[in-house]
Amino acid sequence: MTTGQYMRQLIAWRRAEFFTNVVVWGVFHMIPLSYGLLVKAIFDSLSHRTPAGWNAWTLLAVLAGAYASRQATFFVGFQLFSRYYLSVQAFLRRNLLDHLMRARGSRVIPESPAEAVSRFRDDVNDIADYAETWIDLSGFALYGVTGIGILLSVNPVIGAIVCAPLLITTLMMRTLSSTIRLYRRRMREATARVVDAIGETFAAVQAVKVAGQEDSMTAHLADLGVERRQRALADVLLTEIIRSVNNGLVNVGIGLVMVLAASKLRTGGFTVGDLVLFIQLLPRITNVLTFSGDVIAQHRRVKVSTDRMEHLLVDAPPGKIVEPSPLGLTGPIDEYWPETRDGQPLETLEVHDLNYVYPGSNAGIRDIRLRLRRGEFVVITGRIGAGKTTLLRSLQGLLPRNSGEIRWNGRPVEDPGSFFTPPHSSYTAQVPRLFSETLRENVLFGETADDRLPQAMELAAMGPDLAALENGLDTLVGTRGVKLSGGQLQRAGAARMFARGADLLIFDDLSSALDVATERQLWESLLRDRDATCLVVSHRRIALQRASQILLMHQGRIVAQGKLNALLESSSEMRHLWEAEEDEEEGRA
Amino acid sequence: MFSYSQFVARYLFPHAKKVGLLSVCLFGSVGLQLYIPQIVRRFIDLASGSGPAAGLSGLAFTFLGLALANQGLSVASTFLSADIGWSATNMLRADLFRHALGLDMAYQKDRTPGEMIERIDGDVSSVANLFSQFLVRVSGALLMTVGVLTLLWREDWHVGAVMTIFTAAAARVLHWRRSIAVGPTRDEREASAQLFGFIEERLTGIDDIRANGAGRYVMHRFLEVQRGWFTLALRAWWLRSTIWLSMGTLFATGYVLTLSLGVGLYLRGAITIGTVYLFFNYMAMLEAPLDQITNQLQEFQRAAAGIRRVRELLEARRTVIDGDRPLPAGAAHSIEFDRVRFSYAAEGAHAGNEVLKGISFRLEAGETLGLIGRTGSGKTTLVRLLFRLYDATRGCIRVDGVDLQQSRIDALRQRIGLVTQDVQLFHGTVRDNVTFFNREITDDRIHAVIEQLGISSWVKGLRQGLDTPLEAAGSGLSAGESQLLAFVRVFLKDPGLVILDEPSSRLDPATERLLGRAVNRLLEGRTGIIIAHRLETVERVDKIMVLADGHIVEFGPRAELATNAASWYSGLLRISANQEADSGLDEHLERLSE
Repeated sequence: MTTGQYMRQLIAWRRAEFFTNVVVWGVFHMIPLSYGLLVKAIFDSLSHRTPAGWNAWTLLAVLAGAYASRQATFFVGFQLFSRYYLSVQAFLRRNLLDHLMRARGSRVIPESPAEAVSRFRDDVNDIADYAETWIDLSGFALYGVTGIGILLSVNPVIGAIVCAPLLITTLMMRTLSSTIRLYRRRMREATARVVDAIGETFAAVQAVKVAGQEDSMTAHLADLGVERRQRALADVLLTEIIRSVNNGLVNVGIGLVMVLAASKLRTGGFTVGDLVLFIQLLPRITNVLTFSGDVIAQHRRVKVSTDRMEHLLVDAPPGKIVEPSPLGLTGPIDEYWPETRDGQPLETLEVHDLNYVYPGSNAGIRDIRLRLRRGEFVVITGRIGAGKTTLLRSLQGLLPRNSGEIRWNGRPVEDPGSFFTPPHSSYTAQVPRLFSETLRENVLFGETADDRLPQAMELAAMGPDLAALENGLDTLVGTRGVKLSGGQLQRAGAARMFARGADLLIFDDLSSALDVATERQLWESLLRDRDATCLVVSHRRIALQRASQILLMHQGRIVAQGKLNALLESSSEMRHLWEAEEDEEEGRA
Repeated sequence: MFSYSQFVARYLFPHAKKVGLLSVCLFGSVGLQLYIPQIVRRFIDLASGSGPAAGLSGLAFTFLGLALANQGLSVASTFLSADIGWSATNMLRADLFRHALGLDMAYQKDRTPGEMIERIDGDVSSVANLFSQFLVRVSGALLMTVGVLTLLWREDWHVGAVMTIFTAAAARVLHWRRSIAVGPTRDEREASAQLFGFIEERLTGIDDIRANGAGRYVMHRFLEVQRGWFTLALRAWWLRSTIWLSMGTLFATGYVLTLSLGVGLYLRGAITIGTVYLFFNYMAMLEAPLDQITNQLQEFQRAAAGIRRVRELLEARRTVIDGDRPLPAGAAHSIEFDRVRFSYAAEGAHAGNEVLKGISFRLEAGETLGLIGRTGSGKTTLVRLLFRLYDATRGCIRVDGVDLQQSRIDALRQRIGLVTQDVQLFHGTVRDNVTFFNREITDDRIHAVIEQLGISSWVKGLRQGLDTPLEAAGSGLSAGESQLLAFVRVFLKDPGLVILDEPSSRLDPATERLLGRAVNRLLEGRTGIIIAHRLETVERVDKIMVLADGHIVEFGPRAELATNAASWYSGLLRISANQEADSGLDEHLERLSE
């Protein structure tokens, strides 16, 4: 989508509000024309020494009225504008986040979270600023055209000679705008690196402290800062030179008027009032021209911003960023109610030739085939880097598969990303992410079915933790759950999965979350009582022994499949993994 | 207390030369701007008078020349101020960053990385305005104001007096408006920090949200948070706009006032028409600086709110106070806990919620301790105390006889290595990630350590060896592989005490065995604490401690405990011998306690 299309759709979102702003600010920008004309009239009345002095006083009264009306316009305009401008920001942010959180397909954030946050902040600001520009545009344009018209009508020759260099400036701005854009981009990239470094460091603050490397991290940040400063200065210098050339031209203009009008002033062909009018109008006319030059540069900058947003959203349909949607910024607050979704109860799940390779590498999974029936307990095992987690994530559409088919009860799943959610399945990642809310909110995730909560907590063996926590379920868990221990964090993640009440439970290696006893307990109660189907990554012997089938992975492929005993006989890799544990057990015995 | 002047002195003093040059440009520019209207007045009087008109073109060209010179000075001063601004705030950013990193975990755990970004970069960027814009422009504007008023007094004392009163009134209004908007502006920034913190957290947890179908819920929460921001922002914007509004009204009054005075004096024949214009022109020249001041005041409010937050951050003190006693050099350290009690909520209502309830033991230098206990028993906390991430609420911990509360924290952490379960990576190469960007660590040392770990084949397998760039999540590096990097990090320190917190929990058995051997080599000649969940992990240790609910329920030499039939450890061994398969310490513990 072009920038123009984006802006048109954005305007269409709240058309009436936008155009009210345009009208009010148009009036606001036009009023100063009257200042110039009134001041000219005052000086003319003085220099002609008209007998009735009251004329100048009347003009002064009118001038005072003009000033007052502009203040009134500002008062109204600002309230309209601030509401509109802030709503535009809110609107864009909502649409970005909504797509990432809720759209079909797979969502892999193509950049670090800190960089992605800068899409929500800096790029959103750029677009809102551009909307502001559009609001001012017509008022400014009218001012420019009328102003130049007035100057030409006073004296066409002087008017033309003075305005011509101003137009040239605008053209010059145009040729430089791509350079400005380049400098801005470099500056922004440097900023992103600084922001990133801060975010990552504080995400890993305990590791940095424990390593005692606070100073080298600070030195690293300082290096990034130097680079950013150099880039910012290049940007400032260029912008400032252009601005100065513009201002210089105003003075050249005024100087030209003085030179050209010198003789006419003596003969009366050009009045002092005319000179004052020129001096009054020229700076604003220059501003208008600079502004229009800026609009072009800004237009291109917004293109960069929307490109980056599109990159973040990967496969969003065009216009998603500016799609009308309720914002709930004012008015009554809606209560959240969980949606009841009808699922198709799991009978069988089949995967055919599933492939996923990480872009720009050879790592990934290849030709994955598996089949599981309701009530089965399927364990995926293998060495480090064998592709176990990748398999789980590709299956659920968290990673975009390159090829392959997934069938649920024999029917192809079009969009695993939205299909593999409750009530079909729920998931616990290897390192579950919790948010700065209460433990209850983190586990429920909006689910109001409170009766499921105790059951989920019990299954996840969180009972003792609850007793130990300051406020039990209402404990605020801190950023990313840092107030919880590693094990508590993962058990909370598991509880969250159980609280969904899904058919298929997908666990990515709970071994550090649950001790073996609890894990055993968990499998037993799940398998015996609850009619649950599980797809888990594990290398625990308890899990391997209980598995209805084991998928043994090696270098991204399933190299063997079956029951433990069969695999131990047929696969050297399986024996290798198994013996590693058995060795130690014999050593102990 | 960190005052504005201290602030300026600390961050501007290093750039004194540039500041000097900047002042020269600024003075020159103000002088030229004050002189130029005098030329225009003479021009108008000459043009409208009846005397000889010979000087007119000369005046016009002088005007042109001086106006252009003024532009040059203005470019120079803007560039210089930006340069000074960036240098100064980069320094401030680094200071803040270092300070914030040094704050306790008790501080860190309440803050999102997004919030820290806002505090270290966002707030400082608004402070940048103080350096690069406010100081320069406002001091230039003040100079200009004083200059204009002086010249007006010289022309006609009536006008001088009226305009001085006017300026004083304007300044008064400025001051009044300034105080009103600071609080709400601060609230707005807080709300904005929270909003971006929210977004950052959700983006990090996107898999958890999507796979558990919580997108709708997250969006609902987001709209709530955003609504809070909107309300506060709207209020702050409105209060800030009243500054423009009142200043606009004041200036309208000022223009009408000067013109009226000019017209009155002119009609009485007291001044020339050129002087009427001069008054009007000087009034216009007051508008620019006073408008500049208001405009900058807007920024200043941001900066003031920013500075207040920066100061808050700088004044945040750690409760863990650095000591001055270094740890004795040597390969291994002894550890002693003496009736150590600890609670995360140090005072108040939850002070009773102790995590450690009187821990006393001694571990000799070179010994290895296996730490056993269910989650929540206090194992992780015990480790955190050793690093002084927190200080014991009561009791005393000694390493080589040095009371930790008197030890130098940096020296302490240099002597202890930790491998945790969750390894965070940075945007950078493999080398940056193992060295934490410390350039003093040579490649040879890294390679030597990798060799010692026995994972050189893994590193060679990476596309560009140590130069392989690592990204945040999703780069194709598995959790286990990240953990290998953590091992390198620890080995590089050559610590005297090594703590392994479930180091192999997420490694497959084959890799685990490989690492196990390396761990043995690392522990050789060092003191070690291994937090274990499996019995086989504790096989290699000298002593065993069983923790339960913040108490030591058992502590002693492993061999002794194994033969003592009454011990928990022998109980664990018996139970595991009867188990058909996997050996789970926690499970056995549970059975024993039943």
